[in-house]
Amino acid sequence: MLQPIIQVENLNLSYKSIRAVQDVSFSVFPGEIIAVIGSNGSGKTSTVECIEGLRKPDGGRIRVFEKDPWMQRSEIYKAMGIQLQEAEYPLKIKVGEICELFAGFYERPADWNLLLTQLGLAEKRKRPIHKLSGGEKQRLSILLSLIGRPKLLILDELTTGLDPEVRQNMWISFEKIREGGVTMLMVSHYLDEVQALADKILYLEKGRQRFFGTQQEFRVYVKESVPQEEWEEDCTLEKLYFMIAPKTTGLTMEGIL
Amino acid sequence: MKQFAVILKIELRLFARDFFSFFFTLVFPFLMLLLFGGIYGNKPVYAGAAVGMMDVSVPAYAVMVTGVTGLMSLPLTLSGYKEKKIYKRFDATPAGKKKIISAQVLVNFIMTLIGIFILLIAGKLFYHIQIFGGFFQILVSILFSVAAMFSMGFLFTAIGRDLKSASLLCYLFYFVMLFLSGATIPDIMFPETMKKIAKFLPMTYAVDLMQGIFSGERLGAHKMEILVLGGVAVVCTLIGAVLYRRKDWA
Repeated sequence: MLQPIIQVENLNLSYKSIRAVQDVSFSVFPGEIIAVIGSNGSGKTSTVECIEGLRKPDGGRIRVFEKDPWMQRSEIYKAMGIQLQEAEYPLKIKVGEICELFAGFYERPADWNLLLTQLGLAEKRKRPIHKLSGGEKQRLSILLSLIGRPKLLILDELTTGLDPEVRQNMWISFEKIREGGVTMLMVSHYLDEVQALADKILYLEKGRQRFFGTQQEFRVYVKESVPQEEWEEDCTLEKLYFMIAPKTTGLTMEGIL
Repeated sequence: MKQFAVILKIELRLFARDFFSFFFTLVFPFLMLLLFGGIYGNKPVYAGAAVGMMDVSVPAYAVMVTGVTGLMSLPLTLSGYKEKKIYKRFDATPAGKKKIISAQVLVNFIMTLIGIFILLIAGKLFYHIQIFGGFFQILVSILFSVAAMFSMGFLFTAIGRDLKSASLLCYLFYFVMLFLSGATIPDIMFPETMKKIAKFLPMTYAVDLMQGIFSGERLGAHKMEILVLGGVAVVCTLIGAVLYRRKDWA
């Protein structure tokens, strides 16, 4: 029987009195791309950080490569690449230096010079990171997650800050990376990206798991959850999400003028 | 080991690139030596004394170097990395933050030794200073001074909630100790009140220890200084470690 790469059972996490994650359970199998979606503060990053071993859960059980990420983090990281939602680097460090540094962490690192070229950063090798644009920083962050030739990639906000063309190219690249046998867990607010890449969706709201399954199953879930008059056949994932996502009032001119 | 060597190499480069740390560790003490050496020369500290002004100033400036790395360079790097969550990024790699912190401590220690070495060479070349202490005894006295200063800096980063408050604590203690410990102005020039205040400052004991060892006294003659510096190192490290355990690194 195929063993899951990530197994999460009844995950719970609180920040003082706030219950950030409540009873989340799901499994990720080799070669799958799983997208974690939900509104801001729904517990996506907290869930992922528990899986990464960066936060200690209050309850539940997590296994990554059959190991406890909190206790055996250094073992897991040999085969796991991580892109954090927000990543800062030492002041004045240059692009080439951070790549050299990260490559030094792994036994068999990828050719980072080649990755720099593929991600359009080759000319920025000698540039300090703090002088890069937002999109360049994001590409560098993706590069660093790939430098250890990971079997599992965890990507928090994969294409935030990238222009549409680069985003599309990134999707093609990640589809190829998946074909190479890499499993991915990605957090995203871009539902077109989720629709293009994800095999399964984990939908969280207010720290609770609302849905976990394939995109087709998500469609069925939404259809069953909304009144019939609101239902639309053949709509995009984004439209599906808006049918069930919590509604916000939005700004009115009244508040501004 | 390969992992640590790469981290060390990059951290050394970053130190050299940081004007503040580089200047105040390697250049400023040398300039102080030239300035005060130009004023006083290496004349006897008092009529008939066996040691000259620069003979006692060089070990005092050496303590100033340990103060710069221990109370400014290292803690401000630690605080900055912590505040910007840079350690968190390294924690998400096989290296982890402990290796990065260890490399940063080692880099600052190496720079302290280089800073002191520059002072010794300059002192010998320009003012023909006399060093009566043995290599081992001098090294031990440097280690005690470094341990005390680095641990104080570590404690201040643990107390300070952010870079600003940690910097404030570090600057405050550094400058108070710098001027009252005898590291810049010889303590024989102090009035009694200032001498009493100086007795409460760890840097005073570091200056006394270094000056004593450089003038040929044995470590055994400085039990009090060693006890104070060792005690400061242990207490500050322990309290700092307890406070850090409570901090949220993520």
